[in-house]
Amino acid sequence: MLKVENIRKKFEKFKNKKEKEEFYAVDGISFEANDGSIIGILGPNGAGKTTLLRIIAGIMEPSEGTVRFDDLTYDKNAVDIKREIAVLSGNTHLYKNISPYELLKMCAEIYDVPSSEIDKRIKEISEMLEMDKFLYNRIENLSTGQTQKVNIARCFIHHPKYYILDEVTSGLDIIASQIILDFIKKEKKNNKVILYSTHYMEEAENICDYVIMINKGKIIATGTPMEIRKKTATSNLRDAFFSLVGGYHE
Amino acid sequence: MNNIMKILKKEMREVFRDRKSLAMMLIIPIMIPLLVLGMSALFELQINKDPEEYNKIGFTYELSEEEKNLAQELNIEYSEGTPEEIKKSYENGEIYLYIDKDNNNFTVNYSESDDLSSFALNLADTYIASYQQMLQSTYLLEHDIDPNEVLNIVNTTYQITDEDSNYFSNYITIYAFMFIIMAITVSATYPATDTTAGEKERGTLETLLTFPIKSRDIIIGKLASVTLSSIITGLLSLILALASLAYANNIFEIYKGINIMPSISSIIVAIIIIIFYSLFISGLCIAIASMSKTFKEAQSALTPLTFISFFPSMIAFMINITTTPLLAIVPFLNFTLIFTDINAGNIDIINIMLMIISTLIYITLVIVYIIRQYKSEKILFNE
Repeated sequence: MLKVENIRKKFEKFKNKKEKEEFYAVDGISFEANDGSIIGILGPNGAGKTTLLRIIAGIMEPSEGTVRFDDLTYDKNAVDIKREIAVLSGNTHLYKNISPYELLKMCAEIYDVPSSEIDKRIKEISEMLEMDKFLYNRIENLSTGQTQKVNIARCFIHHPKYYILDEVTSGLDIIASQIILDFIKKEKKNNKVILYSTHYMEEAENICDYVIMINKGKIIATGTPMEIRKKTATSNLRDAFFSLVGGYHE
Repeated sequence: MNNIMKILKKEMREVFRDRKSLAMMLIIPIMIPLLVLGMSALFELQINKDPEEYNKIGFTYELSEEEKNLAQELNIEYSEGTPEEIKKSYENGEIYLYIDKDNNNFTVNYSESDDLSSFALNLADTYIASYQQMLQSTYLLEHDIDPNEVLNIVNTTYQITDEDSNYFSNYITIYAFMFIIMAITVSATYPATDTTAGEKERGTLETLLTFPIKSRDIIIGKLASVTLSSIITGLLSLILALASLAYANNIFEIYKGINIMPSISSIIVAIIIIIFYSLFISGLCIAIASMSKTFKEAQSALTPLTFISFFPSMIAFMINITTTPLLAIVPFLNFTLIFTDINAGNIDIINIMLMIISTLIYITLVIVYIIRQYKSEKILFNE
């Protein structure tokens, strides 16, 4: 179980040419994610989704608040937590001059997968994601869809319990996007916790069990997609969002 | 497998897979034999210049028979004429120097910037000195005095005290070493940039930070990989430098009868310096490059390091500075100064220890600095 408790993240920005001012990119966010659930983190660009997920992934420190993974926290158990999570985002890229096989082997070694099991796992994942044809080609020569499959395989190699997925379908074509969505659904059935951030509201509506809508660093609504639609008296999450923020004007 | 080893393995694969990194590791070492042989050939050309190349000397007056004989004895290809004619020949490059004479006052006209003219000056000096001696002998004989009792009464014998080296051998050995230092710097620059700013720019740094590895282990792994590739470059450069020095020793006349090869103790110290310098420069390159947002920015920031690694040492060598305890802790300068001392046969253990200890302190400071940078979100995410 993942528990996010009152996370705040302070940054500085230029007020004018000389002066700086502080602002909170993430401001008091709390939620829980149970095993076997997909939690959608929704909001427009700049809402604070990436910062929140970076904090949950342990690559950024919060100014305030705590993230708990089954009672483990980053201040004491950073390495143990990272062994249990997989992070995939529009910002995470792959090493280009190695093959998917070499990348998966490298990741497996980093996550301390027993060496006797590495090849077996690579074979299983490769079959599952239909990567056999390009497993030994250099990543720089792969198509976007093939690269995304490798990215998913990288996340899966150590059988993590938690997936942190940030805008993973942004800029992808329909096939590459579907590969990811199918993967997410499959992992949910395996009782994994999946945090799924996107600004594609329709996509979230289809796969998320629970949705956290954020705007300007703050939660503006939480609940199942149906609950949010009901609460805002709208027919979809897109309209619900606009209803909550009072239209599309800043 | 230890986390540092995992990062080292990953980074070394990156270095050896990347053509540019490999090129940077090999490009300067390959140039070292060219430098050693090229400079030796140049020295030899300067020293053993054929007199036929610079013996054309003009005289703005008519030479006497004695003077002509003297010129012929000295293998001077002389030409005579009016001052205007001779000056014109000089300006046209037909002669390399010309001499005016007013009674027994000679004026030698030559060019400082022209090599051949400078060589002709030596010939002209010899000619004038011989002519003076000829006049003096004639005068003494006319007065029934044996010239040998007046002239050449002082004998000078030249004894070389360091028969195993000469100016050129020392010069070529130290320059070869300075090129090794330069090769290491160039070699460290590219992988250090690639592993920090490059990784940030390509977006793989964020992937790396999600791995269950402490920042400290990531940094030490990266430093180890850049250091290792620099040491490989340094040792390769050393091998090529030694091979080319051995070859030059055999084929060039200027090294005849002397041994230009560094002694075993010099080679051992050179290896120690290569290891410590590689560690130092790799840390410095990583520290500078990790502050940059892009690969290009990091490359620009690191370019001055190549010059800093070479020029202070070159200047110190040219003005003959030797190592003092204070200079032994000055980074960049200390490595070459200590090698120069060892090569000259002056082994000072205190200076060597000061160099090693100060370098270790600098490296520790650099590592602490990089670890702090890798905790800075401003640096990591450019935000």
